[in-house]
Amino acid sequence: MDVGLGQEITKPATPALALEVDDLTKSFGGIVALDGVSLWAARGEVTAIVGDNGAGKSTLIKCVTGIHRPERGTIRLAGHDVDLSSPEVARKAGVETVYQDLSLVDDLSVVQNFFLGREDTCSLGPLRWLDRRGMARRVAELLSLLSVNVPSPSARVRRLSGGQRQAIAIARAATFGSHLVIMDEPTASLGVQETVRVENVICRLRDQGVPIILISHDMQQVLRLTDRVWVLRGGRLAGGGPTGGLDGEQLVALITGVKDRPA
Amino acid sequence: MSLRARTLGIAAMGTALALLAAACGTSSPSTTSTSTGVTSSTKPSSLSIGFILKPVSNPYFAAMNQGAQAEAAKLGVPLTVDAASNLADAAGQANALSALVAHGYSCYIANPVDSTNLVQPLLQARSQHKPIVNVDLPISTSAAQAAGLQLATYIGTDNVAAGKLMATQLASMLPSGSQVAIIGGLASDPTSQARIKGFNEGAAGRLDIVQTVAGNWDRATALADATSIMETHPNLKAFFVANGDMALGVQRAIGTVGKQGKVDTTAIIGDTAVLQEVKAGTMAAVVEQFPYTIGALGVEACTAAAQGKHLPASVATPAEVVTQSNASQALAAFPKPFQSFSDPFTSLLGH
Amino acid sequence: MLSNRLPTWQGARLLGSRPDFWSNWTALIALAVLCLVFGIGASHFLSAGNVEDVLTESAVLVILAVGQSFVILTAGIDLSEVAILTLGAVLLGEVVTHAGGLGIGFACLAAVAGGAAMGLLNGLTIAKVRITDFIVTLGALGVASGLALVLTSGTPTQITSNFLLRLSTGSVGPIGYPVLVAVAVVIAGHWTLFHTRFGAHVLATGGDREAARAMGVRIDRVRIAVYLISGILAGLTAVLYTARIGAAEPAPDTTLLLDAIAATVLGGVSLFGGRGTILGPAVGAVLLTALANGLTLMAVSQFYEPLVVGLVVVGAAGLMRYQRG
Repeated sequence: MDVGLGQEITKPATPALALEVDDLTKSFGGIVALDGVSLWAARGEVTAIVGDNGAGKSTLIKCVTGIHRPERGTIRLAGHDVDLSSPEVARKAGVETVYQDLSLVDDLSVVQNFFLGREDTCSLGPLRWLDRRGMARRVAELLSLLSVNVPSPSARVRRLSGGQRQAIAIARAATFGSHLVIMDEPTASLGVQETVRVENVICRLRDQGVPIILISHDMQQVLRLTDRVWVLRGGRLAGGGPTGGLDGEQLVALITGVKDRPA
Repeated sequence: MSLRARTLGIAAMGTALALLAAACGTSSPSTTSTSTGVTSSTKPSSLSIGFILKPVSNPYFAAMNQGAQAEAAKLGVPLTVDAASNLADAAGQANALSALVAHGYSCYIANPVDSTNLVQPLLQARSQHKPIVNVDLPISTSAAQAAGLQLATYIGTDNVAAGKLMATQLASMLPSGSQVAIIGGLASDPTSQARIKGFNEGAAGRLDIVQTVAGNWDRATALADATSIMETHPNLKAFFVANGDMALGVQRAIGTVGKQGKVDTTAIIGDTAVLQEVKAGTMAAVVEQFPYTIGALGVEACTAAAQGKHLPASVATPAEVVTQSNASQALAAFPKPFQSFSDPFTSLLGH
Repeated sequence: MLSNRLPTWQGARLLGSRPDFWSNWTALIALAVLCLVFGIGASHFLSAGNVEDVLTESAVLVILAVGQSFVILTAGIDLSEVAILTLGAVLLGEVVTHAGGLGIGFACLAAVAGGAAMGLLNGLTIAKVRITDFIVTLGALGVASGLALVLTSGTPTQITSNFLLRLSTGSVGPIGYPVLVAVAVVIAGHWTLFHTRFGAHVLATGGDREAARAMGVRIDRVRIAVYLISGILAGLTAVLYTARIGAAEPAPDTTLLLDAIAATVLGGVSLFGGRGTILGPAVGAVLLTALANGLTLMAVSQFYEPLVVGLVVVGAAGLMRYQRG
């Protein structure tokens, strides 16, 4: 795969790949938003997708989360071809997304938000009721595992800080995202301290083997946090590679399309 | 949203609209007309009457409407009826009357929701030089004078006299000084106020009125009020209730607390349900009004006025005491008065 | 803020973590104050007989408030609730009059079924055809009231039925049957809201509809369901109401609708949805009933009653607002 960074991109053996996207193409009316994009994300890695506005990042993510259906190309999750016809299907396939608005209901508690739409229940004959205690316990365990600090699992989300809410949303996605967790600008609205806390959560998730895709405008964050980065420009893949060997200027150059200065 | 869901939804809305259209006939301004095609002794006239009424969901005004329709059919005069949507809908009724006036009739019959709400639209009728017959609830004379409105006549029960009659009857049935409570209609309703005033006058010195409450013309409210009043006044002997619907509620309250026979219910009424109770002996006495007759007389008066006849300034329709002894008679004659009553318009209309 | 000054003992810590503690309990506190005021001012207010009467009388409003709560919790509103009650009562009357042989049980079922049908119609039109709930239920108010008038030609129908009479006047000890029905509805409503998946979805739908949708909650189904619940409960109250007054009345008491909504809001349910309880509105309903009862017992002049009721309602709501900070 030629990506113009002067570095080899070796695809690891297939079973390790959480996500594979091949030749993905999507247009809206006359506008080609994605033009034959191919990339992949591995388990145990934080993979960044960067690009300027209109480069095709959100379209790509929407294809992977079932909001749009690509005209051409395939999407593979853990090696299996999938047809993500709706967000519901994508969710069931194990793709979880943390959008910028977090999709948290302010007036509900942390536990209620965590299990929203997939509440645990106990049943006796025809009666089915919420397993509130069980859910509270699970949330407490998960949060302590990720060292996320909230006043109590029964606290209303409204009372949490921005960073805590982000952490909850990420923890939720990680819990239910068996194949992929996508995070869209997770620290965009946070202060320095909270950004550090959230990044720690992300790292801890990565260490547990959760495949993470990160979309971010913050080049420093990308260099700091991610293992691999893909750059989109004008709907096409402009470049990609392990983050380790890159610096900020090279990334910006790929994003904006300014030719590399001769070495 | 799936096609199936949308179809289901639109079917639901379509059904709702169809039902709404069907129901449109009665709840708000209803329009019913009798055609001149009905055979009658008089030749079909070029006269037409517009009648604005209180809501026909109330049996009293339903009877008034019936009386008017019957008389109009008999005289061969087309009658258009429009009604307020509820007993307190002053503005809505005024709008409905304006619409009638805009359409244009030879004469108007007005039964207003309160003493002043129809003065404005009636001025429009006056400017068309059409006569106006006021029925049942009297239009305020001062407001009319101030606006320069002239009425051809007023036809209705003297509610003060009716209230007084009821008090006199009740006082004759109970020991002097007995405790009585009054349950009126809407506190602001002049009909209710007149009946209460009359009752107070008639009861002065003979009965002890311990409490007066507003039942709002609602059966359930009257029931609740009666229950509370009987709690507070264990020696209460009777209730005076401003209409029949509420009286039935009061009766039920009496039955529920087990004071049947110990507490009497009296009321000013205009429908058969209560008359049945009187006949059965479960209600002591009532004063019956005849809204049917009011409606019929209204039509007669309008016809006469439209023909240019001069009408008497006011006509009092009967209010008759009904007790168990004459209940059968009353029921048999319903909705017309069972005692003799001379119709002042018969001679005017020449038949 | 008051909750910050709570003493730091176990119970307070539990309560203090719930900022809506005061708004939920406002109705109860107001009721307690009311009992105090009326208890002193009117000798019979706290008598056993009167308390029983007030509770029995409040049963209808309590059940209506529960139905309205479910709808308002999803950030909707049901303006047709009382009109559906009226229609249910009329349907009951019609069955008794024209198909008496089918028995009173069938007539009661007809009332509830009618309510369910109207509720379903509301829900489908709001959720699927996407017309705003205020307009749809306002229209349903007209349709239901109109149907009631058409079916009865405007005249009330006397209903004599031993079953209904026993229902409205019978009791288990001092507790009337209507009260038991109301209590059962409140318990069922509370359990449904806080202990079932559906209840969690109701709160989410009202709290943040888009977030809930994003998490896979079937918003449309939830919205249809709450209007259906409101309709069914309105049909149930039709049975109780008819039993109480002994007749099927086609002209609804217009203050009952506002009372139901007021009881719901006084009970701590936010009109924006997503926040509230079932117990709160139930207490709110008893509060409003007790208020009217107390004013009658104190022989407050009929001209002052609406004024006093209005002031108390605003006062209680103000108390709620202040406590919430």
